[in-house]
Amino acid sequence: MNRSDCIDAGTEYCPCYLAEVGECIMCSQLQGKVFCDCTNWKGVCILQEYVWNHARSKPSRGLFRGQILGAEEVAADVLLLTLQVNRTLARELNQPGAYVFLRPPGTAEYFDIPTSVMRADERLETIVLALQQRGVKTKYLFKQRTEKADQEILLRGPYWNGILGLRHLKGLHHAKALLLLRGIGQAPAVPVAKKLRQGGNEVEVLLDPGRIKNFTTALFQEMGCRVLPKIILDLEKLTLRADVLAYLREKILTDGVKLIYCGGPVFLTQGVSNLLQELRSQVALVCSNNTKLCCGEGVCGSCQTRLKNGTRVKSCKTQIDPWEVYR
Amino acid sequence: MSSGVLFTEMPDMERRLGRVVKVVIIGGGWAGCAAAITARKAGAEVTVLEKTDLLLGLGNVGGIMRNNGRYTAAEELKALGAEDLIEITDRVARHKNVHFPGHRHASLYDVTKVEPMVRKKLKELGVNIRLETRAVDVEKEGSALKRIVLADEKVIEGDVFIEATGSTGPMGNCLRYGNGCCMCILRCPSYGPRISISQRAGVEDLLGQRGDELYGAFSGSCKLAKHSLGSEIVEQLDKEGVVVVPVPVEDVNLKKLDYKVCQQYALKEYAENLVLLDTGYVKLMTSYYPLEKLRRIPGFEHARYDDPYSGGKGNSIRYLSMAPRNNALKVLGLDNLFCAGEKAGLFVGHTEAMSTGSLAGHNSVRHCLGMPLLELPRMTAIGDLIAYANEMINRPDGLKNRYTFSGGKYFTHMQEKDLYTTDVEAIQERINRVGLGRIFAEKFL
Repeated sequence: MNRSDCIDAGTEYCPCYLAEVGECIMCSQLQGKVFCDCTNWKGVCILQEYVWNHARSKPSRGLFRGQILGAEEVAADVLLLTLQVNRTLARELNQPGAYVFLRPPGTAEYFDIPTSVMRADERLETIVLALQQRGVKTKYLFKQRTEKADQEILLRGPYWNGILGLRHLKGLHHAKALLLLRGIGQAPAVPVAKKLRQGGNEVEVLLDPGRIKNFTTALFQEMGCRVLPKIILDLEKLTLRADVLAYLREKILTDGVKLIYCGGPVFLTQGVSNLLQELRSQVALVCSNNTKLCCGEGVCGSCQTRLKNGTRVKSCKTQIDPWEVYR
Repeated sequence: MSSGVLFTEMPDMERRLGRVVKVVIIGGGWAGCAAAITARKAGAEVTVLEKTDLLLGLGNVGGIMRNNGRYTAAEELKALGAEDLIEITDRVARHKNVHFPGHRHASLYDVTKVEPMVRKKLKELGVNIRLETRAVDVEKEGSALKRIVLADEKVIEGDVFIEATGSTGPMGNCLRYGNGCCMCILRCPSYGPRISISQRAGVEDLLGQRGDELYGAFSGSCKLAKHSLGSEIVEQLDKEGVVVVPVPVEDVNLKKLDYKVCQQYALKEYAENLVLLDTGYVKLMTSYYPLEKLRRIPGFEHARYDDPYSGGKGNSIRYLSMAPRNNALKVLGLDNLFCAGEKAGLFVGHTEAMSTGSLAGHNSVRHCLGMPLLELPRMTAIGDLIAYANEMINRPDGLKNRYTFSGGKYFTHMQEKDLYTTDVEAIQERINRVGLGRIFAEKFL
């Protein structure tokens, strides 16, 4: 059974374009079937919303102009951007998995860079994003900034599906959690740690600088997390280092860790998943959504992910359990 | 000779020794409760999964028993050994032997009192009741169900399963085939929607129709808050149980009768009159009635609805989810799924749910023990209704009818076959004559 949830279901952006063309992720009737089969009910009838909205999708996300308040180079090729947005957007982005699309003014839509939100402050109406210079779009943004010193940036959002396995994250209380982070993956893990700490959990962070450096140590420590700088990956074998595996084994078997979050490349999550399977462990697996995001609306198809059961999902919107991918 | 053959040749008692049969019932309405009782009486370990915080489902807003042929069926149930629920509805009856248009000797139970009593009864019998537990899927091995998957992804294992999820809602169906969610007692937004278990198991649902290619039907009555009505009406209701008020001529809408589930109440009298029954609330025998119009009628100036909350706009949509089954109530195409209530056919009413539920519960245990399944003979009203509904479903217009002991086509048929009687002794004798006296109370394990 498809137990995948649409992250946008029941929000002000639901129903979306997908409903209009019979491709709704949740509703059987909006998939062209003629009867309800709400296996993954989220408390709202999407068909009801659709019909009441005159059989049209709700207005989609708008484009904001974000004032750049600060741009700090925390490492070579890494920019920490503080943006002035509005209160609503700051509030909506203040959750694990939140992301926006950034674009330098004067560029076309295909310059949109999907970027996770590291921090959001509703009171100050600001968000903080970490951006690493990697491909064409990020390089262009860095170049524009140096040349033109733009004080504004275009921003499209809010989007929320930057993390897979959210329900495990939200459902963990007064337990132990372990975060494995590498490189730029440390930024989206900040709201993850925040959520876990709010749930009264003990949080330990294994922090691997990757190609950059650890720029979040102080943030994690402020929240009361235990931070352990550690090289996690064996880049030659594309797997977890033996000492890290041994450490994880102990954490799972004797220390009683209940949730592991992987914020890094795909083979990091795969490595942890392999270990959990080997141990037949019930530990919850949560990870960053590493698919290529382009439109964020389930339209363009760039984020299409094939699950282990053969079905394909639009992972920009579909909240899936990491097990369905990493098995 | 294979061991399998040896096994079936073993004498019954030996085979049953030390066996535990786990029956899982999905849906805790009247049918599910009735099934739980007979399965439990037969000696099984019984779990009822109910999505809301109340048992009885639509039974919490119903109330009509013993009208017309339902009297016969109620007495048959007692004679068959499934007297428990009938005794409860008799005990909490606010009015007995009430006559209203087209219906005789009805008994109206108090809907505000009945659920706790049923819950207590089931607990006393040792039924494991799991409230706020919604079944969303099944796990199969071949054509046998192994487990029910719950909304929280936990699973419940069983040897045999009974689907009594009804056919009402959820919101999308009420919207597409009705006037939208009217906030009925099933409370889909709060507890989540009904899922068709048989369909999940790969057996396609049959759909009732109210016209050509027009699916589903509206629930046939709504409830008004009693203290919102004029004192004269309330006094008469309290005294006699029934009040009939003429509908203003300009508001008479005969077409509305076609939409109704309850064809036994789809009579001209019900379009030309407001028929009110006292079930604790005031049961208004029409699917819905615009509040503005209702309030123009003397005595209704302050009327308001208690169920569905938007009874001025519409009502729940039903009959979109029946499973094909045999007359022993086993779902066709699956080894170990039985069905009851509306899931088992285009049945209307509590008595019909109790009848099918009792048989499904009893047969579920027989099935696990390899015993032949019980089909009630057509010399009994219950056996006849179950077989009749199955016959009709295969006829061209069969899906447009509803089948109940209390009226419509089936009650006519029941009278023609001389099955309708209120003579309790004759009914008992009828059951005894076919050798089924107290069969539902028989313990196998």
